[in-house]
Amino acid sequence: MSRPFLTGYCLLIYAFLLAPILVVVGASFNAGAFLTFPPQGLSFRWYITFFNNEVFMRAIRTSLWVAFVTMIISGVIGTMAALFHVLHARRSKDVVRIAMLAPLLLPEVLTAISLLFFVYAIGIGTQNMVGMIIGHVLITLPFVFINVSASLESFDPSWDMAARSLGAPKLVRFRRIMLPMIKSGVIGGCLFAFIISFDIFTISFMLKGVGTSTLPIQLFDYLRTNFTPEAAAVSTVSIVLTLTVVIISEKVLGLRIHRF
Amino acid sequence: MSPGKTKGIGPYLLIAPAGLLLAVFLVLPYLNIGVMSFRVPGQGTPYGEGFTLVNYARFFADSFYIWQVVNTLWIGFLTTAICLVIGFPVAWQLTRPNMRFRGLAYGLVLSPLLVGIVIRSYGWTILLGNNGLINRTLTNMGLIDSPLPLMYNALGIIIALVHVFLPFMILPIMNGIQGIDPSLEAAARSLGASRTTAFRRIVLPLSMPGIQAGCILVFVLSLSAYVTPSLIGGLKVKTMAVTVVDALIDTFQWPFGSALALMLSVTGAVIVVIFGRMTRMKWKVA
Repeated sequence: MSRPFLTGYCLLIYAFLLAPILVVVGASFNAGAFLTFPPQGLSFRWYITFFNNEVFMRAIRTSLWVAFVTMIISGVIGTMAALFHVLHARRSKDVVRIAMLAPLLLPEVLTAISLLFFVYAIGIGTQNMVGMIIGHVLITLPFVFINVSASLESFDPSWDMAARSLGAPKLVRFRRIMLPMIKSGVIGGCLFAFIISFDIFTISFMLKGVGTSTLPIQLFDYLRTNFTPEAAAVSTVSIVLTLTVVIISEKVLGLRIHRF
Repeated sequence: MSPGKTKGIGPYLLIAPAGLLLAVFLVLPYLNIGVMSFRVPGQGTPYGEGFTLVNYARFFADSFYIWQVVNTLWIGFLTTAICLVIGFPVAWQLTRPNMRFRGLAYGLVLSPLLVGIVIRSYGWTILLGNNGLINRTLTNMGLIDSPLPLMYNALGIIIALVHVFLPFMILPIMNGIQGIDPSLEAAARSLGASRTTAFRRIVLPLSMPGIQAGCILVFVLSLSAYVTPSLIGGLKVKTMAVTVVDALIDTFQWPFGSALALMLSVTGAVIVVIFGRMTRMKWKVA
């Protein structure tokens, strides 16, 4: 393929990737009662409707809460696992890696169904959010693991040994050598876990209890029966929330988040 | 690599929480779903006492379910093939050393991943619907009289699935191509190979691991997709994943739902293994 042709082709694909997202954002400013094209004027009315809709507002609060708790749990145990994998695992290295990535490699719908049966089998049920959060932790764990492991790749054990030979106790070595090394990986992994958790659908859908709908579930339920641009306003707010987290992490904190 | 000796149980405490979590809430549930598929269907309860093969018998006896699996596999196959064909050139361009705006382009490829799957599917319903953007535009331009059937069929599902999973094809291929030493291609060219030949004989074979990883990822994701087929296909076209989830959520047929889910998973896994054999894949995880 010649260069200009290839460039043009790629631009088409980028347009294809962006199209449905831009359409949603555009539709949210539609003044009309239905999604019509061209829009019947610009308006924020659907945002006002959305902010006054207690069902959606509660769903947003639930989503933020679930994502926050998930991020903390995943962040702690994912970081610990990554430290073990890079620093201590030897023969078990491959096994640990495959196990930690397993939730990513298994079909989410199957994981969700299995987990649903299991939480009932052991009596947790879906009356509270425990089962849902466990599912979210499973799905987000690989991302923390990948990010922290990547930040440790350039770790040189001789630094730690040098500190030890100079008499630094274990805790000081961790705080002064290890922590600065992995900090960006931990923060990046945690923020990514937050975003992923905020968008998780299938796990939440199967494990939701009464009154614990997250935003994606509420949106999905709404879309099955309604066609007003309110859904577009909800989506746009959700996109902006995610984008804010990404921009903060990449521009303000200067992190490079590893997705794979 | 290990600093000093791994002494005592100390280090194992680091892996214990994650290990325990995965063992209890991933391994056990997967074993449990296998057991569940042999349970007796319940009356008024999700499942009854004892074990039976009746759930699998019901699957094989009803051509409706078998056709649905075939249909789902076909949609997965087409989605994967289209992703490969349209994704490869993008991955190729992104790895060219002199590419401008690489950061921006890379960001564009990743951007769909940051938007929830419900929202992306919703975007496609706005585009593809009978009163959607595409049909409206074509009607207004006088090109069509009645709306094109873009939604509530396999075509719409495939279009949206290609969009949702394209980044999962592009990223592994990019990683694959990046690992190729550029001097190999230069050497082939200096020995008189045309650009096409150098591409076909050097670049393509060497990027196979990335292509395989991308294909498997997209295929598996397509088979288990729920949101997109459910919103785009509506009640008319159902993939297996949609049938399974609905059987569990709406009618509480746990044992039968498990059997259906496992039949789809096993078929998918067999196809992945056959694909690996055919393309002489070296199995390696990430």
